[in-house]
Amino acid sequence: MNRKKIAATAIVALVSATALTACSSSSDASDAGGTKEITFMFRGGADEKTAYQAAIDKYTADTGVKVKMIVTDADQYATKLQAAVAGNNVPDVFYIEQASLQSYVASGVLMDITDAVADSGVDLDNIWPYGVDSYRYDGTVQGTSDGRLYGLPKDVGPFSFGYNKTMLEAAGIPLPDKDTPLTWDEFVDICKQLTTDTDGDGTIDQWGTGLNVTWNLQSMVWSNGGDWTNEDHTKVTVDTPEFAEALQKFADLTNVDAVTPSAADAATLDTYQRWMAGQIAFFPVGPWDVSTYNDLDFDYDLIPWPTVGDAGPATWVGSLGIGVSNTTKYPDDAVKLATYLSADPDAMQTLVDANIQIPNLIDVAQDWAGEADAEPANRQEFLDIVQDYGRAMPAAFTYGAEWYDELWTNIQPVLDGKQTAADYLAAEQPKMQALLDESIENAKQAASAG
Amino acid sequence: MSRSPAPEAIAVPAEPRADTPPTTRSKRDRNRLHRVEHRWALAFVAPPVIGFLAFTLYPILFAAYASLTSWNGLGPMRFVGLKNYVSLFQDEYFLKSLWNTFFYMIGIPIGLVLSLLLAIALNRKIPGRTAFRTIYYIPVVSSLAAIAIVWQFAYNGDFGLVNQVLAWFGIEGPDWLQNTATVKPAIIIMAVWKGLGYSMLLYLAAIQSVPTSLYEAASLDGAGAFQKFRSITLPMVRPVTFFLVVTNIIAGAQIFTEINIMTPTGGPEFSSASVVWYIWRKAFKYQQMGYATAMAIALGLIVFVITVIQFRLNRRNSFSIE
Repeated sequence: MNRKKIAATAIVALVSATALTACSSSSDASDAGGTKEITFMFRGGADEKTAYQAAIDKYTADTGVKVKMIVTDADQYATKLQAAVAGNNVPDVFYIEQASLQSYVASGVLMDITDAVADSGVDLDNIWPYGVDSYRYDGTVQGTSDGRLYGLPKDVGPFSFGYNKTMLEAAGIPLPDKDTPLTWDEFVDICKQLTTDTDGDGTIDQWGTGLNVTWNLQSMVWSNGGDWTNEDHTKVTVDTPEFAEALQKFADLTNVDAVTPSAADAATLDTYQRWMAGQIAFFPVGPWDVSTYNDLDFDYDLIPWPTVGDAGPATWVGSLGIGVSNTTKYPDDAVKLATYLSADPDAMQTLVDANIQIPNLIDVAQDWAGEADAEPANRQEFLDIVQDYGRAMPAAFTYGAEWYDELWTNIQPVLDGKQTAADYLAAEQPKMQALLDESIENAKQAASAG
Repeated sequence: MSRSPAPEAIAVPAEPRADTPPTTRSKRDRNRLHRVEHRWALAFVAPPVIGFLAFTLYPILFAAYASLTSWNGLGPMRFVGLKNYVSLFQDEYFLKSLWNTFFYMIGIPIGLVLSLLLAIALNRKIPGRTAFRTIYYIPVVSSLAAIAIVWQFAYNGDFGLVNQVLAWFGIEGPDWLQNTATVKPAIIIMAVWKGLGYSMLLYLAAIQSVPTSLYEAASLDGAGAFQKFRSITLPMVRPVTFFLVVTNIIAGAQIFTEINIMTPTGGPEFSSASVVWYIWRKAFKYQQMGYATAMAIALGLIVFVITVIQFRLNRRNSFSIE
């Protein structure tokens, strides 16, 4: 063969080779130098990255195992993780959502880490039971203390309620008690007093509240004795009178009581910005908000959620988990990393100091809540939610959340006062039920295939 | 690999070996040359062909099969026949997203008319025309995600730029992206603005390549400006119009980024959700990869049929100047 032929053949070979390897390249290079490397994929901002870097540095110093971090933004995380799974290139350790856990377990992507965690010496009793149980699954039911463990909590996120202390004091309104929740009528009454035109230019520029239905309706429905589904998540119960009353009261805040900015604003960020500008009296506060809210020009504090009915205060607790790949080459090291990220006291301290989450470890959390110069002063409210009256999101333990999201899709006419809550919910219940039935069917199929 | 003696043979053609007649030899050389050329041709053709096989044909075949299964994108597939396709026609959200997607295409003719007018205007010797051309082209080279975020601010009901401008004229603007009646027009306006520069550039090139002799002849025959536009400019830029219509419809059928950024939940009452947005949500949020793939195949077929019809229509209407 002459040179030209060789060159031509080489090009063909090279092109085919790159085309083929592009499909199957994976991080097998880690063995090369004799040092192990595992990958950790997560989403989040700079604070999380800094905090995890500290935890990972400590982990690497202790074990000699290197960790490669892959950070994505929140929107892209699910897509990227699924692409990684499809490409047989699952990160060794990664974030997992409560509502995706069952499908990832059934598909054999997540490793059963029950025994490995027990062997690692982590004291699970010192981590919030809600956080740990969220990642337990026995093949049919998720979220109870019986199932096998498929992840550790990255955090638990109690969604609390706050008020603008400076505004209430200026208006001469007695501050709400931090232990007794306001009744709904009391709450609306205070809101009405605070919805005013403060600078006398003829337009209202201060409001009682401004809530987003997607995140705030849960508390109202639960405190009124209603719920999204029955106990075992098989029947959608949004068409009950309790549920309808709560949703109606939510819509009435804008349309009847007129204590919120205009209707459309509830769906945008505007009320959030108005709260931060000191124009809104009552607003939800999650642990991830604290770093931002502590820099605001006014003082704020936490109180229990106002109650619509007599079922006591209620709100949801979110959680994100850290799971380990079933196909990892280094199962022991990967589980160990998960325990560092979830339960290492130093790593936890970094995250807590950044004011983006409450401590996962119960003893650390109690010290943190009792600090004298705590801001907000009533940090204990976060812990009360996790321990006493917080619940999982309605779709946290179902196979996918499509049935749940359906409720929000067409809800705008109710919020605008063009349709009654009862009518809307009666029409929605069958649609949501059909989607829930489908998800139960899919869960069974996935479980039997796995 | 042994090195072949061919180069020497070519280099010294004057000394043919005794056992080979000259004629045969030159024929063999030609064959050899032919073979070498052939190999090179293959080498150059190979990358796109391999790319097509690996990144287009295989995924299409795979998707065609996946669309017949119940599959969560992670675990094993379960064959369900045409069930997904049957469900499509009963899925009100799919039909609604299809309707929304075609509604967005109203922006295509609007954009073409505007860009042709712009191209004609900027083809004249007006002061600062290079600056104008650049200004209109900037949105084309900007990131769509960044543009969508900027427009999202502009459309904000309370402090958005759009409503502030409307307020100067005493008009109280709606909360554009939260209103079922205005969310689609709002997105269309943004899309037209974004695509204007590209269409304008192609039209500008087409207008400049129209022979001036045609206009001169028309002037001699007493044709007015509008007649010249209608009978010369418009037919002469027809191929560009056809190209833009076809590519815009294909791109329009895939509209996603601006929808996902400006209305992350698909708009109030699903009023802004496009087909691709719905496919993405089904596949990656609800893990119904099989069903989502069926939607993708259906969308692909629709686009294919529309494009075939366009080519047919174009062929029937085409003409040439001899």
